[in-house]
Amino acid sequence: MAKGTCICFFSLFLLLGSRVMSQDTVMVPLHVRTGFDLSGPVMHLISKNLASYGVLASVDINQNLSVNAGARYTSFSSAVYNYSFQSHGTSFVIGPDYNYIKPKVGLGRYFAGFGFRYGLSFYSQEATGIKYTNSWGEGVSSFPLSHHIGHFLEFTPGVRAELFRGVTIGWNLYLRVLVSSGAGHDLKPVWMPGYGDATSGIATGAEYYVSFSIPYKKIRVIIKPKPVSTDEDNEEGVENPSTTPSSVMGGRL
Amino acid sequence: MLILELISCSRQACYDNTNALMNTSLLASGTGHDTSSVSLIVKGITPTDTVDFVDTKSDSHFSVPLDPGNDVTTFYIVLNGVTDTAVITYDREPHLVSAECGYTFVSELTGLTTTHNIIDTLMIIDNSVNLNGKRNLHLFF
Repeated sequence: MAKGTCICFFSLFLLLGSRVMSQDTVMVPLHVRTGFDLSGPVMHLISKNLASYGVLASVDINQNLSVNAGARYTSFSSAVYNYSFQSHGTSFVIGPDYNYIKPKVGLGRYFAGFGFRYGLSFYSQEATGIKYTNSWGEGVSSFPLSHHIGHFLEFTPGVRAELFRGVTIGWNLYLRVLVSSGAGHDLKPVWMPGYGDATSGIATGAEYYVSFSIPYKKIRVIIKPKPVSTDEDNEEGVENPSTTPSSVMGGRL
Repeated sequence: MLILELISCSRQACYDNTNALMNTSLLASGTGHDTSSVSLIVKGITPTDTVDFVDTKSDSHFSVPLDPGNDVTTFYIVLNGVTDTAVITYDREPHLVSAECGYTFVSELTGLTTTHNIIDTLMIIDNSVNLNGKRNLHLFF
């Protein structure tokens, strides 16, 4: 009897404790996601010149920050009146995403924020049928298949929402800044896989992702820090974990 | 999204300069000051024909294209009625102007020889013959 009473009181004590904590914190699941880009295949249906297939994976570090890595295969061909151009290759991006939605609202299911990526493109390009006409007459030339490594940076504002449990959809705009095409000044690619038109230093567009997410951990996020304890409390030796600098910082993150 | 992509993929007309020219300044031999010719004719020589590039009364500089189909171009330069022959050697490379305009050919000058009927010296100042419009040769006479 005494043992049962003790367990009962202990359980009530735990419940009381959790109620106190739930006033200021929220449990946020952290996810691992992997998905694919829908915009590339859709664009391929419209334009046969460009085939682009991308996959993306991300891991939540905390309620606001996640790390993303992606890979994309791109094949591009263009035949216009005075040249034909082909390029193909695989690009990789990696970088953080920052979620501006408050943990209390997002609960790990919604994202509205931006990301930064560093991109690396391993690609090949060639041009055939380069026709020229000037005072000397007309001629046709070409340059053979050559391999290059390009670098770019990417800024991606976007949104994401959990459609069903474990299925997330989202789209993002991208603004890419070309660091280097790796092909020199004269032979910048008409289309650099992973980047776009490399004759311009800036490329813009949009991507639409469907991804599958698996929660791997839940974290307790402080959404409303407790008031700073008074001197009287301190003198009484009351320890309040929520007032420590580290936990307040954790609440903002 | 599709609208954005379609806009970014649409082909535009070519408005860029695609003609890489070799630019030459005429200078007075001895002083090195800019000077003008009384008359100036420049022709390119092909195995079968000549191509007229310049025919002017008075000018202090002229611009001519190098033959994009060969690594050597020969010019007749008729300066104030006196003819000289200049042979220019170079390496060619395609250069992407833009997706709309396509490619042109730029050259790196590797050497030149000239007769000296009226030309005192013909020297390379900048060996990159491209679209930037910089002077490539100084012709002293």
